[in-house]
Amino acid sequence: MQRPLEQPIGSPWERLDTPAFLVDVAELEAAAAALAGRCRIEAWVHKTPAIAQRQLAVAGAKAVGIAVRGVAEAEVFAAAGCQNIRILRPLVTDASRRRAAALAQQVHLVTEDDGVPLAGAESLAAAVSVSAQVTSTPEPGRAITDCGQKAIGRDFGDPQVLGIPGCRASAGSAEHGVLVFSPEVPGFAIGDPLRLAPADVATVFALHDFAYAIAEGRLAAIWRIAGRGMFQ
Amino acid sequence: MNGSLIGKPLAALETPALVIDLDALAHNIGVIADHYRHRRIRLRPHGKNHKSPQILAMQVAAGGTVGGVCTAKVSEAEVFAEAGAGNVLLANQVADAAKIKRLAAIAARVETTVAVDHPAQVERLSGGAAAAGAELGVVIEVDTMMRRGGVRCLENAVALAKQAAAAPGLRFRGVMSHQVPTARPPSKAERFAEGGRCIERVLAAKAAIEAAGLPVEMVSTGETWTYDVAATFDAVTEIEGGSYIVMEVPYAYMTEFRFAARVMGRVVERLDERHAIGDVPIDAIGAPNGPPTVEGDAGIVAERIDHHGVMLSVPDGPSLPLAVGDTFFLLTHQQDITMNRWERYLGVRNGVVETIIEAPARGCVH
Repeated sequence: MQRPLEQPIGSPWERLDTPAFLVDVAELEAAAAALAGRCRIEAWVHKTPAIAQRQLAVAGAKAVGIAVRGVAEAEVFAAAGCQNIRILRPLVTDASRRRAAALAQQVHLVTEDDGVPLAGAESLAAAVSVSAQVTSTPEPGRAITDCGQKAIGRDFGDPQVLGIPGCRASAGSAEHGVLVFSPEVPGFAIGDPLRLAPADVATVFALHDFAYAIAEGRLAAIWRIAGRGMFQ
Repeated sequence: MNGSLIGKPLAALETPALVIDLDALAHNIGVIADHYRHRRIRLRPHGKNHKSPQILAMQVAAGGTVGGVCTAKVSEAEVFAEAGAGNVLLANQVADAAKIKRLAAIAARVETTVAVDHPAQVERLSGGAAAAGAELGVVIEVDTMMRRGGVRCLENAVALAKQAAAAPGLRFRGVMSHQVPTARPPSKAERFAEGGRCIERVLAAKAAIEAAGLPVEMVSTGETWTYDVAATFDAVTEIEGGSYIVMEVPYAYMTEFRFAARVMGRVVERLDERHAIGDVPIDAIGAPNGPPTVEGDAGIVAERIDHHGVMLSVPDGPSLPLAVGDTFFLLTHQQDITMNRWERYLGVRNGVVETIIEAPARGCVH
């Protein structure tokens, strides 16, 4: 399991130990505020109780509750105080049905489609990025970072480099990111920080144990992704 | 909760679950140990592939290893060093002052070596090691085909070696490289030819550095697909090996190793005569190179996989032989990506859970 960052609250994102999984609080809240109509928030995407609590608080009466994939994710969010939880996956074993029945004693548990539309999966994209550091500049037009597939995922494609026109992230590998850039890009020095946008938000939440809440470019809180790895 | 799993048959387990075939694991470890035990070359087990000091201990106990570990990240090295690994090679570049400080703290505990490919890394490592009163070993990473890190010419290798040899806090030790086969699957002759060419490149750097008057004590190269190729070169001291431990579909041509890791799933919904949904989401196995392979000879394929599950089908058969509640097993196409999704593995023998294997370095990407 990852260990939480040593850097103090208030540190600028560029100073956080890389690769750091960053969630912009303003973007997160704006996405929750923009939810239209009665809905159920897809908490399986982020698996993070602190994020669900913020989404529910901002969305207000529009959000009737959350949706998760299996019983284990439901148990995590119930323990964090979520009162209305839908489990999306059919329960086909006696053991999972017993656990669901126990959970239903504590919270309002929904195991069938109750007609409430699911929402929130797409809207997180603008809030999420992963920081990286250049570790090697081995040849012109190419730089290597410490943000590989294990930090940003590649199950749905390659990430995008944020804020550096003319520079793209190629496939990279499990532990390394590879930046490819055209001659007009000034280039990189070893130690340079940058940020990448993942191709798929839910994959990044499945890789990290902590997300770093960023407000105005600075570390505002450390959130445990308590539902990560709760597959059953 | 884990205790209650011991002794349970596979069919009684909740899914999805990552199960390790303990006999296959022991077999794979034994193949490498047998190959190296009576040779000079040693295996340096790669911790990034299993994330587990328990599995490292099995590799070391079997013999033929350096007695330590190879890692890709400083935080991984911390986990293995704290668990008692005898020595550490960080087969990667580190540039960050805070990370170098942590690396120096590891070096104060066990012999620690790190790879470099740029003067700025050497300068920073030297500063960090000297400030901590520690000694960091340094190897020059040589690019042989991957175009990741690694020096691209012999002149740079020699210059870096000289810089490291003269830098306070550092001890220049040698060279390293990592490579993967371009032909998939390669024949044995192709494997030896291509692997041999790569290894000759890293040995050319060794020769150039020695010609400049610096002794080279360590030549570390990787990995599973060249474990036997490297052993034919007297100058190679160790091979970084990881994929062999649980195996993956693209490496199936290495028939001396067995598949030891599977993600077990269960059918949760039958769509029609030829299609069903299984409960393994993509984040439980990872699929950067396409959907996983369904084990068995029933002609079942994983047609697609997403965050809600895997769609199983029989493209060439009339009927899918799986009912709701039935289990199935998926084989990964990239084992270290899969292992990194799980905090613990279920060690199974004869269809029964025998042990829980903890993977405390999971997620250690820092």
